[in-house]
Amino acid sequence: MNAEMIFLTFFGGAAVWFGIVVFRTHSMVRSALALLFSQTAIGAMFLVMQAEFLGVLQIMMMATEMSVMAIFMVMFMMDPGGLGAMDMTHQKRLSLWAGGVGLVAALGLTLGVDWGPAALSVPSASAQIEMLGIELLGRSMFIFESAGLTILTAMVAATMVAIAPQDKGGAK
Amino acid sequence: MISGARKGAFSGLRKLVAAAMAQELKAFVVPGPELARAHGLDLAKAGLPLAVTPRHAGVLLIISNLPEGLRDAASVAYAQMPRPRAILALGAGNLAPLPVADVSADLTQEGLLSGLAQLRRAIAAGAFGNDVTDFEAPALEIRVEYTCPMHPEVVSDKPGNCPKCGMVLMPRETDASGGHAGHTPNESEATMSQHNTPEHSKHASAEAAQYTCPMHPEVVSAEPGSCPKCGMFLMPVEGKDADDKHSGHGEHSQHASAEATQYTCPMHPEVVSAEPGSCPKCGMFLVPVDDKDADDKHSGHGNHASAETDDGIEAHFMSMVGITKDLPRSSDGLQMDWLEVPYGPFFPGLPGGLGLQLTLDGDTVSGTGIRNLVGFAAPLVSTPVAAEDFIAQMMKTMPHAPVSYGLLAVCAIENAAGTKAREDTARGRAAALERERIASHLSWLSDFGAQTGFRWLATSAAALQLKVQGADTGQIAALTPAITALLGRLRRAPLMRMRLKGIARLDDSVDAAGPLARAIGLNEDVRSDDQTFSALGFSPALRTGGDALARLQLRCDEIDQSLKLIAAAGIITAPVAEDIGKAKGEGAAALETPRGAAHLRLVLKKGKVISAELDTPSTRHVALIEDMTAQQELGDALVAINSLDLSPWEIGMESRA
Amino acid sequence: MNIAIILGSLALGAYIIAIVESWATYGRLRLAGPALAALALLGRESVLARKPDRLFFETAPVLLLVAGLLAVAVIPLAPDLIITDLSSGALFLNAALAYVLVALIMAGWGANGAYGMIGGWRFLGQFIAYAMLIVMPITAVAMRAESLMTTQIVISQVELWNIFYQPIGFVLFVIAAMGLAYLPPLDLPLAPGDLAGGVEAEYTGVRLGVLRLARMIIILSLAGATVTFYLGGWLGPWLPPWAWSAIKILVVTVAMLMAGHYMPRIREARYLALSWKLGISLALANIFLVGVIALVVPI
Repeated sequence: MNAEMIFLTFFGGAAVWFGIVVFRTHSMVRSALALLFSQTAIGAMFLVMQAEFLGVLQIMMMATEMSVMAIFMVMFMMDPGGLGAMDMTHQKRLSLWAGGVGLVAALGLTLGVDWGPAALSVPSASAQIEMLGIELLGRSMFIFESAGLTILTAMVAATMVAIAPQDKGGAK
Repeated sequence: MISGARKGAFSGLRKLVAAAMAQELKAFVVPGPELARAHGLDLAKAGLPLAVTPRHAGVLLIISNLPEGLRDAASVAYAQMPRPRAILALGAGNLAPLPVADVSADLTQEGLLSGLAQLRRAIAAGAFGNDVTDFEAPALEIRVEYTCPMHPEVVSDKPGNCPKCGMVLMPRETDASGGHAGHTPNESEATMSQHNTPEHSKHASAEAAQYTCPMHPEVVSAEPGSCPKCGMFLMPVEGKDADDKHSGHGEHSQHASAEATQYTCPMHPEVVSAEPGSCPKCGMFLVPVDDKDADDKHSGHGNHASAETDDGIEAHFMSMVGITKDLPRSSDGLQMDWLEVPYGPFFPGLPGGLGLQLTLDGDTVSGTGIRNLVGFAAPLVSTPVAAEDFIAQMMKTMPHAPVSYGLLAVCAIENAAGTKAREDTARGRAAALERERIASHLSWLSDFGAQTGFRWLATSAAALQLKVQGADTGQIAALTPAITALLGRLRRAPLMRMRLKGIARLDDSVDAAGPLARAIGLNEDVRSDDQTFSALGFSPALRTGGDALARLQLRCDEIDQSLKLIAAAGIITAPVAEDIGKAKGEGAAALETPRGAAHLRLVLKKGKVISAELDTPSTRHVALIEDMTAQQELGDALVAINSLDLSPWEIGMESRA
Repeated sequence: MNIAIILGSLALGAYIIAIVESWATYGRLRLAGPALAALALLGRESVLARKPDRLFFETAPVLLLVAGLLAVAVIPLAPDLIITDLSSGALFLNAALAYVLVALIMAGWGANGAYGMIGGWRFLGQFIAYAMLIVMPITAVAMRAESLMTTQIVISQVELWNIFYQPIGFVLFVIAAMGLAYLPPLDLPLAPGDLAGGVEAEYTGVRLGVLRLARMIIILSLAGATVTFYLGGWLGPWLPPWAWSAIKILVVTVAMLMAGHYMPRIREARYLALSWKLGISLALANIFLVGVIALVVPI
């Protein structure tokens, strides 16, 4: 077992542990940030696996996404601080089933698919970035550009919908 | 050893730390830096930087004698300071419930300097000690009081129902004095701990309503509150068997309601079941359908205000749309928990002495409670006082505009006695009033700079104010270029227009005086009717915007104008009344103080003032706060309050009672 | 060795800008000031607010410090004087500084006080304003350098510094960096006049010291990033490379610290509106222009 495996196991364990904390805590903010650190640990796993760009991207994106999620939780949930010892689990039976099915599917995919021979050497980080760029702006350009445009449209539309109509000149 | 020493043996490294602390003192000024400047104290020159919160301060600097309410608030601020902490009292008398000041000195710059030097030595020699005494602010003792979610003015010591609407009173923690004294970030905890209680009002009629959790239908309560399982707000349910459930036999009533209930899927209405569960087609939770409800709907009167069955939303889904449907809504349409946050009486962005309680909806202000801890009380005169003592008393009562109120008293007394000041005395008095106007406006500019983070303005306006106060005509002429340069730079400052434009716009329907009225474009100025001022070539400066920007510009214009008036008058005299002998009679006077027109009526008898009635602009302006801040973003609301230039000392107490 | 040199110069830099900041704030130049202030903070009680989220309250200052230090790791002071020359360095800088947001939210929430909490969430709003304006100018810089490596980015400016090549990007980046470092007039999470210190309001003693040190390091790392991306990093005649880096970083830091002195704090809503309506349009135009220039002119 080399150092990489030790780090990989460590970050994997951290990701799972933070994932459990998401449901074990009473506080919405803690829950959101535990999810963040779980995702950060996955980013660290990418780094250990020498997927530098992916890892850094994951670590960067999750920080902001989960913070935004945290504020929505605080805004829309009662008792975001968890002072009422709120239970984070809901619809237990359904969740258990969904989780179980997901686990089986993931295990099935992992074990059942032929992954091919293990790569003995990984391209250098800068080569990876270059390859990723050529992929994004070459073969997959149409897909990514249209997806990007769709997301942007959805964001603008969602913002427009969210703006409450102002009652101008109405009774106060 | 100083009274607020930190526990620990005073040796080795700690001696070094104590020496560093003595040099690195930061002061939290009570009631506020503007009062220190009004008394001529130059804290920057004395090398005493200001802390914005007691948490970051090492010394509590007390300026002048404080009324009891402010001392209570100051004790809270002191309790919040981390040890080692010290108290430096300048010109203060009784400090209780605060501990005895470590150093007391006169209320002068020399007193400040010598007191500070003494304090630095005391801290270097005694910042740590073994037998430290604890200080507990009496105002911080927590007790629980009960208040109505709809009518915050209803406050009771015991649980019960609101006399106005019959709703159940909600508990909240409060300090022992019954008010929210002090600049206390801590106190917000009282509200934070209530995150799980419905602070929002429930419009549902309490007598017929029962409450249940949208997630856990088995939780049924006769009172609003939060679900013990998930902490969510309990939702009002208007049940026909409400009486059953009020008896409190939850088990029984649950059973009773289950008998009459069928369950259906919100997505697939054809799925109907006698038991709760999930839909065989889509797995969603089945929604209870009351038989009676169902009948109603068939007959077309399906307009039940039941929050549980919003169209198209899964019943047990945590839908904020349903949960917050009947709650009051803020201007941005977002439903959020409300926080009650104390602002003042020592808040760095507000006039010292003025206590505000802001109800925050997110960072929007949805309500403002005002609790002034200083202010003058009627009657001004209880036993007859000699004329000169009355003038001195007026000057002492109004620390932010002593000359103006002294002059006001002088004019009223002369009016009552039937004497008239000589022409050059009148000119000198006019110049003294204008000098105070310059100083007062500069002080406001400094406060405004401190509040909005415009630090250059805060320091340079304060320095100029200190020089203008007490200057003679020659010195004012020498200061004129510096003041004009300051105003010029201020008018050109980037972001200023963006910061102030459109904030707290007043129109001519409000009861505003002085600079506030003139910034709307109203020609309201007592000086217009005054012969002395006419002779000096006075005509009121006016602006038309009516917003915070117009008020800033107007005050700048007035500083310019006052400089010219002083130059034209050529002489400054102190407010001293002519000898009136044993005169008697009734007199009245009006005077344009820096904050607007003040009116004084008094009765003289045997040369003594036996009764007096005062009307001040700040008393009228403080009433504007509530409308001005409603639904404003927090920063804008504070700028709005600041733009009023209130002096809490000049607010009549009876008007707030 | 590099790590030791860079951390040493970081400490020195933090000390110098602490002197400058206290000079800007209080108008007095005191060379021993920061040392005394640090000692005084060490000696004060670390007060714990009532009912805090203690885990957040304690972790936040450390997380802020770690975020700043990680950001410094990819700033080159000289061709070989860099802690780690990652091939995605410019992106890594963003990733590290994204945790400034997380740390401030934790600090604001953990203290259990309204001022801090509002300050923390305000910074999230501020993030929405500045985030795009950090990333998009860097995109244009990386386009010219054809690399995300910070050393490559410096080398790409041998002919012409990016401040002249893409001035719009420079202005946008500096303003956004000031937002990230919550420097006045963009100090909304602290806002002494609105929030009495905001996220710092409940911190005392050592924890406050760590918070302030971390902020110094963040300011330095952003000044370093500005120098690397736009001012040619270590490039310059006569002096050794490290000296040029040091001079440029200190000048940028002082400029960023002093700017807020002469204007009032911006309004939150205006800041967001300006950033999105004006800033992002300009940033897109900048990317387009740089793309055209890079294709047409061979420098």
